[in-house]
This record gives sequence, C-alpha cells and structure tokens, in this order.
Amino acid sequence: MDEKDLNTKVQPTWCSGCGAYGFLTAMKKAIAQSNLAPKDVVVTYDIGCAANMINFFNVCGFATLHGRSIPVAVGVKMTNPSLTVIAQGGEGGIVTEGANHLIHAAQRNDDITVIINNNYVFGLTTGQASAATPKGLKTSSTPEGNPFEALCAVDLVAVSGGTFVARTAASEIEKTTEIIKKAIAHKGFSLVEILHPCVIWTKGVKIPEGTWTEKPFADYKEFLGKENLFGVLFNE
Amino acid sequence: MMQAGETLSKALNRLGFYTLMYPEYPSRIRGGDNHIQVVFSSGKFIAPFEKIDLLLAFGRENYERHSKEQEGSKRTGGQGKFEAGEVGLNKIAEELGNPLVLNTAGLGFIWKVLGFEIKILKEQLSEDFADKEEIKALNIKAAEMGYEKGSTSPHLTWFCGVNKQIVNLTGNEALVEGILKAECDFVGIYPMTPVNEILRLLAKTKIKLFRPEDEIAGINAAIGAAFAGGRAMVATSGGGFALMTEALGMAGMAEVPAVIVLGQRTGPSTGMATFSSQADLNFAISAGQGEFPRIILAPGDLEEAYRLGAEAFNLAEQYQVPVILLTDKYLAESRFSTLKENFDQIKIIIDKGKLFKGNKGDKGYRRYELTADGISPRAFPGETTFLTNSYEHDESGFSSDDAENREKMMAKRMGKLKNLEEGFGGFEIFEGKKGWGKGTTLVGWGSTKEIILDALKEFPEFNFIHFWRLWPFPQKAKEILTKAKNLVVIEGNFSGQLADLIEKETGLKSQRILKDNGRPFFKEELTAWMKKI
Repeated sequence: MDEKDLNTKVQPTWCSGCGAYGFLTAMKKAIAQSNLAPKDVVVTYDIGCAANMINFFNVCGFATLHGRSIPVAVGVKMTNPSLTVIAQGGEGGIVTEGANHLIHAAQRNDDITVIINNNYVFGLTTGQASAATPKGLKTSSTPEGNPFEALCAVDLVAVSGGTFVARTAASEIEKTTEIIKKAIAHKGFSLVEILHPCVIWTKGVKIPEGTWTEKPFADYKEFLGKENLFGVLFNE
Repeated sequence: MMQAGETLSKALNRLGFYTLMYPEYPSRIRGGDNHIQVVFSSGKFIAPFEKIDLLLAFGRENYERHSKEQEGSKRTGGQGKFEAGEVGLNKIAEELGNPLVLNTAGLGFIWKVLGFEIKILKEQLSEDFADKEEIKALNIKAAEMGYEKGSTSPHLTWFCGVNKQIVNLTGNEALVEGILKAECDFVGIYPMTPVNEILRLLAKTKIKLFRPEDEIAGINAAIGAAFAGGRAMVATSGGGFALMTEALGMAGMAEVPAVIVLGQRTGPSTGMATFSSQADLNFAISAGQGEFPRIILAPGDLEEAYRLGAEAFNLAEQYQVPVILLTDKYLAESRFSTLKENFDQIKIIIDKGKLFKGNKGDKGYRRYELTADGISPRAFPGETTFLTNSYEHDESGFSSDDAENREKMMAKRMGKLKNLEEGFGGFEIFEGKKGWGKGTTLVGWGSTKEIILDALKEFPEFNFIHFWRLWPFPQKAKEILTKAKNLVVIEGNFSGQLADLIEKETGLKSQRILKDNGRPFFKEELTAWMKKI
C-alpha cells in the first residue's frame, strides 16, 4: 500500500514546527509498511491539537470526547477483533481527564494500541499545566511554576499491567515508525508515548537527553521513574 | 428472601393466580428490614398494598415493625400474624442443620395457612432447585415440616384462578428477554441498583459483556461497539446516567445508535439507593449540552418491558439516535405475572435501518450524506473507510465550523424523528364506561400502569391514558388529551414532570397525584385519592 493513500483532501492545520507533523508521517509509514488497508484500521481520537489528525489521516477515524478515546476503542475491538484499533490522545486527554481509562485498559490488557502525544501542556486551551507538565514549569495556570511532579504515562501503564510500553520523540520519524509498527502488531495492551514539546506553550522544555534501548527490559522496575529512556521499554 | 418470594409467587401461579411480589430492602448486603409483599388474585393487574392479610416475620423486631400493616384485615382478622421462632420454624432449620432453609420452612407454613395442597409447593421447589439434588431434598423437607406447623385457622377460601399458563418475571427479566430477542451484541454495565439483575443475567449469555471502570467508559465503549457494527447497550441508574450525559450527546452528534436502560431510583444524589422513583423524566429529556434527537420509552408492565426492550435496538439503528428506556426500581425488581399467550404473541422483527451497500460514483461513501429523511446509510469499519465525528462535520465527516453546513446538519439531525409518528405508537387508552371526553381521565407513565389499572376496577367510569413513549411526545396524544376532561396525572415524583410536559406540549393544565417517598403507589392511597377527585 502507498502512504499517499492515507492522505485526505484536508491540509494539516498545526503550527509550523509542531511535532504532530512528524507523528502523522510516522503513522502513515507504520500503517503502509504494516500492509493494513485503511478500511481495517480504526483510530479513535481524543480532543486536542494532535487529535485534529482525524481530518488529515485516511483511515476509519472517530473523533470522540476529551479523555474518552480509550473506552471507545475498547468497544470497537471487542465487537470486531479483526480490526487494528488505535486510541490517540494528548497527555491532557489520556493522562489527565481520562487517566482512569488508561489504567484499567492496561490492567485488562485490552488488545488496543494507545498513543499519547505528550506536549506537556493543554495546548488548544492556551497553555495550562496538565498532569504531565514538568515540576517548576511556568504555564498560564501555574505562573509561579508547576508545584507538582509530572505523572508519567509509561510508569502508570507498566505498573497497571500493560504488556508493551514504549517512549519515543516525534522528531525521530524512523524510530517512531518502527515503534508504532511493533505496538500495533503486539497482542495485548500497547502504549506509545510520543514526546513533542509545544512550539507555542512549552518550547522551553527540552526532551531529555536520552538513551535508546536496544532491547526491552525484562522487568519494568528497571525503567520506572526514568524519563530519559527511549525505545521499546517493555514487551512481554 | 427474594428467592422465597419468587417460589411463593410461582407456586401461586401454578394454582392459576396472578401475582405481584414487591420487595423492599435497605442498601446493605445482609440483614436490616428486608421484606417482600406477595399479592395474588384471580384477576390481572395487581397493585401493592399498604395493609396486608398475613404476616410472617422473622424475629420479634420485624414482627413489631410490621404488625400494624396486618391490623384490621377482614380476611384473617386477628389470626394472621406470626413470628417464625414462636411458631417453631427456627427449630426446623436447627433440626435440618442449615439456617438457609428457614425461609422455605416459612413458605410451607404460609402455604398451610392459605389452605393449599403441599404438593403444588413441592412441585415449585423441585423446579427451583432442579439442578441441586441435595439442596432440593432439604428444602422440600423444610417445606413439609413448616407445613405441619401451619395453623388451620383462620380458615381461608379462594376463588379459582385462570386455567392458563402464567409467566412470572421481574421487569428486569422481561427486559432481558427483549434484549436477547433483539440480538444485542455488546453490553457495558457498571453495577448499580436497580439494574444489577440485567448484568447478572446477560453475563450468562454469549453477549460481549464489558464491566467498565466507570459509567463513562461503559457508554463510550457501547458507542464504539455500535460504530463497529454491533447492537450495543448500557444500563444504569440516575447517578451513572449523569456521568454518561456527555457521551449521550456524542451518540446524538456522531449519529451512533445507543440503547440506555435508565432504572430510576430515589434521588437526588445517592438518595435512597434501593427505593423507587419516577423523577428522572426531565433529566432524560434534557440531558446533554446542545440539542440532538433522542427517543425515550417507559415500559409499564412485562409485555412492554419485553417489547420495548427489543424495539429500542431497532429504533436506535433506524434513526441512529440514543434510545433511553426509563424503568424504575419498582418495575425492575418486583415480580409480575401475565398470561404466557400475551407474551408469545408479541412479534419482534429485527431492523437495522439503512446500511451501506458498496461504494458508487466518484464521491465515494459519505457517512453523513444528506438525504430526504435525514438518515444516512451506516457503514462499519472493515467495509469501507469513513469518518465518524463528535465535532460538527460535513457530509464526509470532516470537522467543520462552516455556518451554512451547520444549519444543514442541525436540520438533518433534528428532523430525523419525523417519521417516528407513523406506525409507532406511544400510549395506550383505557376508555371508561361513559366514554372518552366524559368524566375524569387519569394519566400515567411507566411503572404505574398496572397499579392504576388495579385501582380502576373500583372506578369503571374513569378514563385512563398510559404513556410508554415520553419523547418525542406522541403527537396523536395531543388531540386525545385535548378531548379529555379533567386530567389527573399520577406519577412518582415531587413536582409532576409528566404533567408539566403535557402542559408544555398541549397547554392543558391537570390535577396532580404525586408520591415521592421511594415506595410505589399503594392501592388504598390511590383509591382514596381517586374518591376525592
């Protein structure tokens, strides 16, 4: 299948320099290289900047509600297990509003792939701190600096029972493509956290200088609490 | 206790009596004032009563608490009150070495007082414990021993019942029969009284059952399931429905079918968790931000619970809207009876509405194609590529803020139900002796149906209109209500929500008979009110 078949007539509306462009490219490559027909791929989208991708990505897309892309995906997969089902959302939707669904889908090891576009902030609503905003960061809702430690999706999913856990950066298109391919091929719950600081609200945040793992860790305790590890961290 | 009530009422059905079993229990697992009322009659339609003829209490405290309800009984006089320990039933349980058979010993005792043959009760117990040989034998023994303790005074005589097969079901059970008949594929239920029985019963079937982390996940997953081509439902009570309201709007906007069973209980907030209510009508009509079409059905008896439980899935798919089935604790958990033949003659034909039949033309498939009736054929993932959208969208499903598109899409969605009036009713009329338009017309909805019909036996000149569809408000009912004189709306809430709806739809004012203490209308209080009209 050709990547071009995954384009729609609509041009992306993201800010120039946004990591979502790299993410979209990686998604198209991953679906094309996995030889999946667009009609057999369902992406349930959250509400947020990256979720606007529903209009730019030609698969069976469903724009759901803020925080609820995971349960919609669970219902789709239970009803038609032959579909490839991906739930997308920012860290606002998946780690903040809908974190309950993330934990429970991981606990049940639901056979879906969850992709989190982590830009460390509520972007569309003008830059308020989310549950995954780094401690100390000044945002429009934390003018004195965010007083809380960031909630880490990778850690949450690992301890909840998810069986595939990965972290990548949107700028690393080839690596992200490979990781998404592995995640959708994984049987059971898979999480891919994609880091791309917002070019408007969190441009001062640097993606940690990290180590890309060659092979997944055998025990999740080895990567818990380590923000600087990338690649497939856990693959049971 | 619920099992004992089921056995007793089914044994009475074997004698040809219609029965009602109304349970009351507190929100705790064991103990408390946990009681059931069983009413039986040779005539159909039975209301629960404030006063009873026969009391069997377990424990002195319960005996004292309920004694007053038995006082003044003409049928049993001062001889209709018993405490289990005092009549030797506790000893039977001790002797048999199992405290669980105390209830069955009680059934044997009552059966003797009622003056029926033990054979019938034993037959029923054999059916109830058919798959557990040892437990069956133990219970039959307990019933026999209880029967021996039963007094022969008062001496009671009965009119014979009907000589036809009677089905005995709770409202939830009848609803589940309908859900199965409709070939539902997916159910998402977070436990909540009074719909737990639906979860328990469906868990035994092949339907894909999702016990979600919360009601929000339940309805979102059901919407995902329906989007993927399944027939999907959720069941909850008011608190869970409150959590579902945002997704309810998504079903409306994205035009995904959804069936929601809303079993009302006493609110607001946690309220009285195991008691009944009809106070969520306004909520069901208006839940969710923005405006979108929805259908609200409210079954009033077993036949309607079965029929509407199945038809809800057809309507949801034909019109691609959420359909809310409003039941309540009284209907859901009480046991009712009807003739099997009434049940069997209800025909359900599965109709999934307009479906995608292959791509044609250059434009390809458009999920929200504008059509004459506002309904666009549905496709499912795996058939073709398409977009489903909770944002305002164009015909292809792309997000759109365009003013002209918005107007077209709102008109499409809000006009979808205009064909619902054709053929699909919404109410039932019971004309009094003097005819429609003469004298008083009672108005009710949902679970009050049988209660009002029972009370009407003493007021044959009254007319009665029972609503089983509340929304969209049936257009034909407007004419009929306008012709009626002296409307009296009877409902289980504080303010008179149906009365308000009728006034809004027709301009007609009505008297209101309201009750909002968690209990159903009892026959005595309803007839007393009716005398005053």
